[in-house]
Amino acid sequence: MSWADLGGGVLRAALPLAVWGAFASGYAARARDGRMLASARWSALGALGLVAAASLSMVGALLSHDFSIRYVALNNARETPAYFSAISLWASLEGSILLWTTVLAGAVAFVAWRGTRGLPRLASTALAVLFVMLSFFLVLVVTPAADPFVRIDPAPLNGRGPNPLLQDHWLMGLHPPLLYLGYVLFSIPFAYAVASLILGEGGDRWIVATRRSALVAWALLGVGIVAGAWWSYAVLGWGGYWAWDPVENAAIMPWLVATAYLHSVMVEEKRRMLRTWNIALVIGAFSLTILGTFLTRSGVVNSVHSFTQSAIGPLLLGYLTAVLAFSVGLLLWRAPRLADPGPVGTPLSREAVFLFQNVLFVAATLTVMLGTLYPLAVEAISGDQVSIGSPYFDRVEVPIGLALLFLMGVGPQLPWHGASRSTLERQFAAPVLAAAGGAILAVLIGLRGPAPVLGFALAAFVIATVVQEVQRGIRARRTLHGEASWAAFVNLFRRSGRRYGGYVVHVGIATMALAIVMSQAQAVQAEATLAPGGSMQVAGRTIVFERFRDVIEPRREQVVAELRVVDGSGSGPLAAALTYYPNATGAIGSPGIRSSAGDDVYVILAAYDARSRAWATIQVKVIPLVSWLWIGGAIVGLGAIIAALPTPKRREQLAPIAVGASSAAGAK
Amino acid sequence: MTARIAILLGILAVAVAVAIAAAPRTEGAEQRVARIAAELRCPVCQGLSVADSSSDTAREMRSVIQQRVAQGRGDDEIRAEFRRAYGDWILLSPPLLDPRGAVWLLPLVVIAAGALAVASRVGHPVSPTPTPEQLALLRRRASTEEAVE
Repeated sequence: MSWADLGGGVLRAALPLAVWGAFASGYAARARDGRMLASARWSALGALGLVAAASLSMVGALLSHDFSIRYVALNNARETPAYFSAISLWASLEGSILLWTTVLAGAVAFVAWRGTRGLPRLASTALAVLFVMLSFFLVLVVTPAADPFVRIDPAPLNGRGPNPLLQDHWLMGLHPPLLYLGYVLFSIPFAYAVASLILGEGGDRWIVATRRSALVAWALLGVGIVAGAWWSYAVLGWGGYWAWDPVENAAIMPWLVATAYLHSVMVEEKRRMLRTWNIALVIGAFSLTILGTFLTRSGVVNSVHSFTQSAIGPLLLGYLTAVLAFSVGLLLWRAPRLADPGPVGTPLSREAVFLFQNVLFVAATLTVMLGTLYPLAVEAISGDQVSIGSPYFDRVEVPIGLALLFLMGVGPQLPWHGASRSTLERQFAAPVLAAAGGAILAVLIGLRGPAPVLGFALAAFVIATVVQEVQRGIRARRTLHGEASWAAFVNLFRRSGRRYGGYVVHVGIATMALAIVMSQAQAVQAEATLAPGGSMQVAGRTIVFERFRDVIEPRREQVVAELRVVDGSGSGPLAAALTYYPNATGAIGSPGIRSSAGDDVYVILAAYDARSRAWATIQVKVIPLVSWLWIGGAIVGLGAIIAALPTPKRREQLAPIAVGASSAAGAK
Repeated sequence: MTARIAILLGILAVAVAVAIAAAPRTEGAEQRVARIAAELRCPVCQGLSVADSSSDTAREMRSVIQQRVAQGRGDDEIRAEFRRAYGDWILLSPPLLDPRGAVWLLPLVVIAAGALAVASRVGHPVSPTPTPEQLALLRRRASTEEAVE
C-alpha cells in the first residue's frame, strides 16, 4: 500500500467519526446520557488517531520522496535534507490544512477526555461545537483543491523542491507549528463560550474552564509571532523583522484581541461584569484566526506567505460567515441574560484601567484590519491599486502601543474598586522616578523624537512597577508565612503564578519595547563595493572582505563572501551569501549575523562580479539590542508558563461574587 | 508629601526629556533620502519599502532620490515624480489630505467612541452592600446555575 492510499484513506475515515461525535456529544449534553458521552470520547480519540496517521503518512511520503503524490512532487526533491523534508508538511497549502486539522483533532480529544470530567453539560456542548468545526476541516481537507494526497501520474523522477525561503533556516520548523497551535487552541475558549450561550448560562464557568487553554493559545501565538519575526530577520535579508505584511497582520490581530480578553476576564471574575463583552472578544479572536487563514491561504493578498491561488478561499469565507452569523446571533439572543450587575469603580481603579486597555487593543486591531483590507476594498470597488504599509501602521500603532505601555505600568498598581490619593502617590513615586531615569538615559544616548524617549521612559516605568510589586509580595510573605526572602520570592511565582507570571510577561513586553526602540532608531548602515582584501568602517568596526568561496551542493549553489569583523574586543568571521536554488529564478540572499548582547552586525552580499569575482558589494547594518527582541519573546513565554502552571496543593479559589455575596457561592 | 514631590519632579523630567528629543533639527541630505525612501514601496518586493529593500530596483530608486535631493527638489515634488511613474500604489500610505486619507480617521474614531463608552460607566462609587435588586439577581443566578448542572 502506498503512502497516498494510507493517508487519503484514513483521512476520509475520520469524517464519519467527527460527525458522529458531534451528534453523540450534543445528545449526551441534552439527555445527560453517559453512554453517548463515552461514545463521543472514543470518536474523538479515533478521529485524532486517523488524522495524525494521515499527517504521519505525509511526513513518510516526504521523507521517502514519494513523487507519485502531487504535494510531494511540488514541495520536495531528492536532494532535500531530511529535516526540511519532514517540515515540508507545512510548506504549502494542502499540508498546512492537514496540520491544522490534526491540531484541531487534538484539541477535540483534549476536551473530550479532560474537559468533560468537571462540567459534563457545558463541556459536552462545547465538544459538540468542536466536532462540528473538525467536521468542516475534514470536508475541506478532502476537497480536490486542498487534498494533500492527490496523485500525479506518471510520477516525475524528481520533485520541484520546497520553496527556497522555507529550506534556509531551522526556525521554519518552529514558527508555523507554534502559530497553528495558537490559532487552533483558540477554538477551545470559543467552543465553551458558544456552549455557554446555547445552554443559556449567565455565569463565568466557561471562562474558568478555559482559562488555561486561552492562556496557552495566547502564549503560543505570541511566541510563534516572535519566532516568525526572528525567521524574517535571519532569512529575508533586509535587516528588519516586521514589515506589516498582510500575514504578519493576520497573526497579530487575534493576538491583540486575545490579550484584551486575558485582562478583561479578570474583571468578570472579580467584579462579575463585562460578560457580553468577554464573549464578544472570544468570538472576535476566533473569527480573526479564520480571517487570517482566509487572507493567507486564498491568495487574495500578496505576501511572503501566500501560496498559490486556491479554490478553498470561498469555502473558508463561507465558514467565517457561518461562524460569525451563528455566534453573534446567539450572543444577541442571550444578551439579556448576561446583563452587568453594576457600574465600574472610580477612574483610578484596576477595572477602569482594564476597560481603557481593552479600548486601545480593539482600536489597534481594527486599525491593522483596516490597513490590511483597505487596499483590497479599494481595488474591488474602483480597480485602483493603493498601498497601506509601514508608514501608516507605525504612525497609528506606535502611539497606541505607548499608551498601552503606560496602562501596563498603571494597572497592577491600582486596586480593584479604586484607591485613595495618598496610597497612589506612595505607589507611583518610585516608578515615575524610574521613568524619568529612562527618559534621561534615552536623551543621553542620542535618541531623537518623542516616541523613542517615551518608549524608554515607559519601559522603565513598567519594569519598576513589577520590581516594586515583587518586593511588596516578598515582604508580605515574610510577615504572613515567616519565609526567608528567597523562599518568598520562589513562592510568589509558584503560589500566585497567575499574577506574578503576568508580571513576568510585562517585563518581557517592556524588554521587547526597548529592543524595538533601539533597533529602529539607532541602527547604522553602510554599503561599499570592495575587492577581496578591502575593508570598510561602520559604527567603530572594520569589516574586511577576505575572499569569495563558491559552494556547490546537490540542492543549491552558493556564492559566499567571507568577511571578518574587527572591533575593540577582537575579531570574528562572518559570511554573507547569495544562494541559487534550481526552482527559483533569482538568488536568495543569506545574510550573515554576528549577535551580541549590545548589538548585531548584519551583513548582506548585495551584488558581486559574476565573471571574475573581482568585487563584491557588501551592505552592513549594525543594529543595537535586536537580540533582546527574541529574549523578550522568551520572557513572555516563561511568564505564560508560570501563569499556566497549576498551583501546588491548594486549588485556586473562585473570587466571591461581586459584593460580599458569599451566600451565592454557598448556595451552589 | 515627599512622594507627591517625587512624582511631580519625575513627570517634569520626562516632559523636559521629550521636549529636548522633539526639538526640530536640520535634516541632512542622507536623512532626507532615507525618509523619502521609507515612504515609497519597492515595486519588485513584497511589501518592503525602497529604504528597506536591497533589490536592484530599490537601489536605483534610492539613487534617483539622492540626485533629486542634490538638485534641491522638494519632498512633494520627488514623491509626485514617482507617483506619475507608478501610480498611487507606490506610496506606502495614503496622504492625509486626500479622499483616501479617511483611513487615518478610523483609529481616532474608535478610540474616542470607546473612551466615551468607558467614561460613561466609570466614576460611580460602588456601594459596599448589595442592593435588593443585586441580591435578587444573585439568587436567581445561583438557582439557574444549579438547574444547569
